[in-house]
Amino acid sequence: MKLLKKALLVGAVASLAMTPLTGTAASGYPSKQLNYTIAFGPGGGNDLMSRTLVKILKKYDLFGGQNIRVENRAGGSGAIGFNHVAKQKGNPYHASSTSGNFLGTPIVSDTGWTYKDFTPIALLAQDAMFLVVRSDSKFKTLKDLVEYAKTNDLKIGGTGAAGPERVVAGLFAETAGIKFTYVPSQDDGGLITSLTSSSLDAIVANPSEVSGQVAAGNFIPLGYSERKRSTVFPDVPTFAEQGYDFDFALPRGVVLPGDVPTEIRDWWVDTLKKVVETPEWNEYLETKGLSGNTIFGDEFAIYLDKTDKDFRGVLKRIGVIK
Amino acid sequence: MGDISTNLMQGLSVALSYYNILFLVIGVSVGMVVGLFPGFGPAAGIAILIPMTFGLEPTTAIILLAGIYYGAMYGGTITSILINTPGESATVASTLDGYPLAQNGRAGPALVMQALASFVGGTIGVILICAFTPALAKFASSFGPSEYFLIVMLGLLLLTTMMGDNLLKGIISALIGFAIATVGVDAISGAQRFTFGSPELIGGIYFVPVAIGLFGIGELLHCIHIGLHKKQGEKLKVSFRSKDFWPDMKDYVESKFTFFRGSIIGFVAGVLPGSGATIGSILAYSVEKKVSSEPEKFGKGEMRGLVAPETANNAASAGAMVPLISLGIPGSGATAVLLGALMMWGLQPGPTLIVNQPDFVWGLIASMYLGNMMLVLISILAIPLFVKFLDVPYRLVVPVIVVLCMVGTYALHSSMIETWLLILTGVLGFGMKSYGYSPAATVLALVLGAMAENTFLQSLIIGDGSMKIFIERPISLVLTIILLSVIFFTILLRVKKMLKNRKLNAAVGASA
Repeated sequence: MKLLKKALLVGAVASLAMTPLTGTAASGYPSKQLNYTIAFGPGGGNDLMSRTLVKILKKYDLFGGQNIRVENRAGGSGAIGFNHVAKQKGNPYHASSTSGNFLGTPIVSDTGWTYKDFTPIALLAQDAMFLVVRSDSKFKTLKDLVEYAKTNDLKIGGTGAAGPERVVAGLFAETAGIKFTYVPSQDDGGLITSLTSSSLDAIVANPSEVSGQVAAGNFIPLGYSERKRSTVFPDVPTFAEQGYDFDFALPRGVVLPGDVPTEIRDWWVDTLKKVVETPEWNEYLETKGLSGNTIFGDEFAIYLDKTDKDFRGVLKRIGVIK
Repeated sequence: MGDISTNLMQGLSVALSYYNILFLVIGVSVGMVVGLFPGFGPAAGIAILIPMTFGLEPTTAIILLAGIYYGAMYGGTITSILINTPGESATVASTLDGYPLAQNGRAGPALVMQALASFVGGTIGVILICAFTPALAKFASSFGPSEYFLIVMLGLLLLTTMMGDNLLKGIISALIGFAIATVGVDAISGAQRFTFGSPELIGGIYFVPVAIGLFGIGELLHCIHIGLHKKQGEKLKVSFRSKDFWPDMKDYVESKFTFFRGSIIGFVAGVLPGSGATIGSILAYSVEKKVSSEPEKFGKGEMRGLVAPETANNAASAGAMVPLISLGIPGSGATAVLLGALMMWGLQPGPTLIVNQPDFVWGLIASMYLGNMMLVLISILAIPLFVKFLDVPYRLVVPVIVVLCMVGTYALHSSMIETWLLILTGVLGFGMKSYGYSPAATVLALVLGAMAENTFLQSLIIGDGSMKIFIERPISLVLTIILLSVIFFTILLRVKKMLKNRKLNAAVGASA
């Protein structure tokens, strides 16, 4: 008994001592298990990011010694899992990772939630797109494509009808003042073979999907859709620096349910700032070809507003949504 | 050749970790057991075990699932020989001479020879995979949407014309699969189809519950319907201590060429979309009978009549991995389920897989070498043990499998909709089985439906709405010609048969 009391006392003193360090009013957080929901199945991009993040939180003991429970709730292109988290309004012991569908699915489908039902914490990586051509094609720069499109029917492929690939292709064509035919593929494998087989002129794809072909010298990326160059592919010029003034990237970030107290949001911002400094996180970015330009807190909220507006705008102009 | 051996060494270094070997042993053993039970094939076995591999590394998970796939070919023959009941459709041809052999008191030699035949077929198959997969993958990088569409069509056409006895029923089965595949977001327009406002259906109907329902529950219901559960377990005794357990010299010498013929025929049948192990084994059997100088012996306990289908079905199950890995196009129900497992693990089969994930591809192929070695040992040394499984009454096996199916389906996505779907498709599968429809065609069409639709529409977009694209590209042209000739010959054969029947009827009518 005595020992137990002593232990409690030590614990209390320690927590008192710690409080001023960790922040102002988030004292006592975290005191329970965290439920980390992955809105997609195991093995995918979102799953990998979430599990890497949780592994780092556990390894460096960043979640106050509390347990973290990870659960895959796949279905409806993220609709099911994000809905589950959105329903936990105000509960700081739920979290999830965002990826393209976090914005995309509510735009095209009736999901009952949007990104506004969440508390944005941090954008940890950018899912920006490459515009890629075959290395044996006559296109060496974006300008070549634009010139070609003036007299020919330029065919650009991408995964899905209303995904970020189509938005990037659409924004590129708008800023360049050209017309093109968009050819949607059902999956990444089909997209890549439609370029290797010379069925299309160019494709818009995630860097990680084409990095193998780029490394093998079969494909050349002509443009990158983030505002800044990718930290992993610094040689690929952005669209903006080639005179096509737009940028578009989807957020790979962390969100909590809506209406979480500001102190707890700040606690998470501080914690995630530590996560992105770890070697494990940088190894993850490197292997998946993701860019490591980060944004936190309010800035992330502004970023989500802007990206959502771009996304809706392009899909509306091309007639995918009303 | 040098390339292949370096690749294989690389693969072996992956496959030979303790961890992977452990799960390989589990996989092939489960495969043997799955093969043993009538009405419960590798497709259902793999589908049910998918959720249980969630905690594993992707490569390990696929090594395990592939082990079930080819392990079932070994197990299925044991019942073909001993009780004249093929555990799996691919071992039907093995009953023709396998059971007579057992009746002649040569069950022991038959079991040993089938294990050896399976081993030779499987191993030759794996060697040919090594040779063909990279080549086909390289070739396949020149396949665009129009080529993919034609290959998918060819596969489904071959499956429906070759598998079932009834062409119409085969086509209807495939159309059911296509119909289910239309649910969800249309990849071309982005519109939602048949989702009825349910967010769970936005992503479409996942085919694993459907496969478990059709192959697992449906088959079980059918087995209960025909009264398999009432049958008393037959007491079978096989002991390898007895002298006449082992084949004699004559068996080996007689069938030395059969091993190779069967393997090649089986492999080719496996690589061709839509054919696979069942057709390969039947084909190998009839070829063997044709080339033999004493065809009258076949069907009465001829060793070559067992060796031929056994080498063929194992070589075919290996051959079917070639289009699966290099094109991402499965040729059978079981490989369709394997494809689903690969995709679930984020491994996108197709020409890019072997470039992006060489460790996985060669690790899997090397594990198939090892798996075949394990299987030949297990099936010779542990046959008495596996035969014991058959003592378990069927009425006790059924509830266990039903529970596994239900739990497994729910574990996939914790979705009640999918669990209901399992029950629904189970009833559907029972009906299909009872009336001679083909669940395999349904599952294959479901898996390939989205691909067929999308590649067709993509081709039309690329070709500015004209069907000319299917004859303008050289590879497409060849595929179109093959496709049309298959249709032409199928019709020709039917007309011929009809005329013959009419003549026969006329003759009968005249004489009467």
